[in-house]
Amino acid sequence: MTPRPWLHGFLDLCLLAMLRERPDYGYGLAQRLAAAGVADVPGGTLYPALLRLEQQGLAVPDWQPSESGPRRKYYAITDAGREFVDGQTAEWRQFRDGVDALIEARAAR
Amino acid sequence: MSDWPELFETELLRLGLQPVRARQLTAETAQQSAEHGAPPADVFGPAHLYARHLVAELNSSASARRLAPGPVLLSLTGVGKRYRRRTVFAGVDLRVRGGEVAAIVGANGCGKSTLLKICAGLIRPSTGEVRRTRRVGFVPQDGGTAGWLTAEEHFTLFGAAAGMVPGRARSTGVHLAARLAWRPNTGQPAQHLSGGTRQKLNLVLGELHAPDLLLLDEPYQGFDQGTYLDFWQQVFAWRDAGRAVVVVTHLLHDLRNVDHVLDLGAL
Amino acid sequence: MTAFVVASLCAREVSRRWAALVLVVALPLWFYLVRRDLAGQSTRMLALGIGWSVSTLTLFVVNASRSVDPRLRLTGASTASIIGGRLAAMSGVGLAVALGYWLLVGVDQDLRHWWVAGLMMAVTALAAAPLGSLIGALLPRELEGALALLSVCAVQMLADPAGSVAKLMPFWSTREIGTYAVDGGGFDMVWRGLGHAALVWLICTGGTLAIFRWRLRVANYPEPT
Repeated sequence: MTPRPWLHGFLDLCLLAMLRERPDYGYGLAQRLAAAGVADVPGGTLYPALLRLEQQGLAVPDWQPSESGPRRKYYAITDAGREFVDGQTAEWRQFRDGVDALIEARAAR
Repeated sequence: MSDWPELFETELLRLGLQPVRARQLTAETAQQSAEHGAPPADVFGPAHLYARHLVAELNSSASARRLAPGPVLLSLTGVGKRYRRRTVFAGVDLRVRGGEVAAIVGANGCGKSTLLKICAGLIRPSTGEVRRTRRVGFVPQDGGTAGWLTAEEHFTLFGAAAGMVPGRARSTGVHLAARLAWRPNTGQPAQHLSGGTRQKLNLVLGELHAPDLLLLDEPYQGFDQGTYLDFWQQVFAWRDAGRAVVVVTHLLHDLRNVDHVLDLGAL
Repeated sequence: MTAFVVASLCAREVSRRWAALVLVVALPLWFYLVRRDLAGQSTRMLALGIGWSVSTLTLFVVNASRSVDPRLRLTGASTASIIGGRLAAMSGVGLAVALGYWLLVGVDQDLRHWWVAGLMMAVTALAAAPLGSLIGALLPRELEGALALLSVCAVQMLADPAGSVAKLMPFWSTREIGTYAVDGGGFDMVWRGLGHAALVWLICTGGTLAIFRWRLRVANYPEPT
């Protein structure tokens, strides 16, 4: 899996959607994204995005000890983050349906 | 590999981040690379590039939370300029609010700089009405500095004009320079600065007295590509702080993110 | 406060222009050395040389700050503090040059009233600074201004001191006070010279301020509603 150029616009949505399910830290989120088959997001893309969510007040960080190694910065979604996910979800569906429709039209010919 | 954190922190400082924030980000980055069980260069790429990317992301998040436009700080109604029998332009209307960026575009010789000077109040319009806020910063296309004074002496001089004591004027100037990724060199007169650096000095002098309205006349002449991007980020940072910015430009690709475009050539 | 900062930075700026400063300071010396054997001739020429060099230096300083001044006005400085500060600095530079040459003349020449010779040079320097700034205000290009000052000083040197043409020139006071310092005579010559210098100073300073007040005026636009 390589990072797809179009992921960029929806990376925030994916991250917040995962945080809505449960709070998580950076590496955990990267693994979940990879496991879901969305993308293999490099650290250089992932962590700036998380910082941005933090600055925008869409996610709040919380330092928690880990079983092995140093403390980890866990992110939890905020109310503003939930609102953002709802808004973006509608946009994503419209985008996905639009792309699907274009692909289907080509296949039917 | 082991000097990656230092390089990263140095670049963050150069880009104008506060030292505490830079250290905190460097520590977090070290932890994140530990999570991945890989050296930072493998996770994030080269230190200076990642620092730039991170700062750009942080700045773009600030602009994502844009406030509603503030009060009108500049309004032109039917403004025209005639020199003897030659009409330079006529019927210019423009309203710029706090938190907005306006661009004045058009071919060479269509009066962009003249219009900006009218906005500043250095030239009178022949027709029409201008209203503007009192606190205004003006950055000319070139010149506007004293060749034999150093950057810090310029800060003192312009600070004194605005009623600031010398020490405060100097520290404000140095701080504003850092936001343009520039550390003024003491003892170097302005005429020995490179063209791009002299324009940074010009920019700092324009905003030293914290004006509500900034009038910029293509101040990025002589900037390299990286500095040019820094300049536009600075414009958007001013906008997001609620200031109004008017930029004269002839480059069309600057115009994606501005609120108003006034094409003088098309009038 | 603003005028003080303008004045001190202006003086610093001038002090960095080494080559120009050396030439300007040396110019009166050549005038002096040519007729060093004649006390009266050489001292008067020296004083006129001081007038010429100080006014030319002021002309260049005023022209060099042409692009900075409108920005200082927009930032909030008054015309009087910008121009006044610069004139104060150049008067100071002029007085320093005059002081140096006064000491030289004191050592090198046998004058009847040595201290009056000092007065002559100081008065010349003080009249020269606003004269240079007035020419600079009237003639925006350096070459034109320098040629105008050259004409003024040449006419002053060549005109018959008793004639009416010399009285209309800015440095008539120099010759009047200088005559008393070298040859003696009635002290009323000094008073006449001082009166003439005061008038020249007032006209040049007032003219400079008036022109710059007009040129550096900033439109007083109303606030947007």
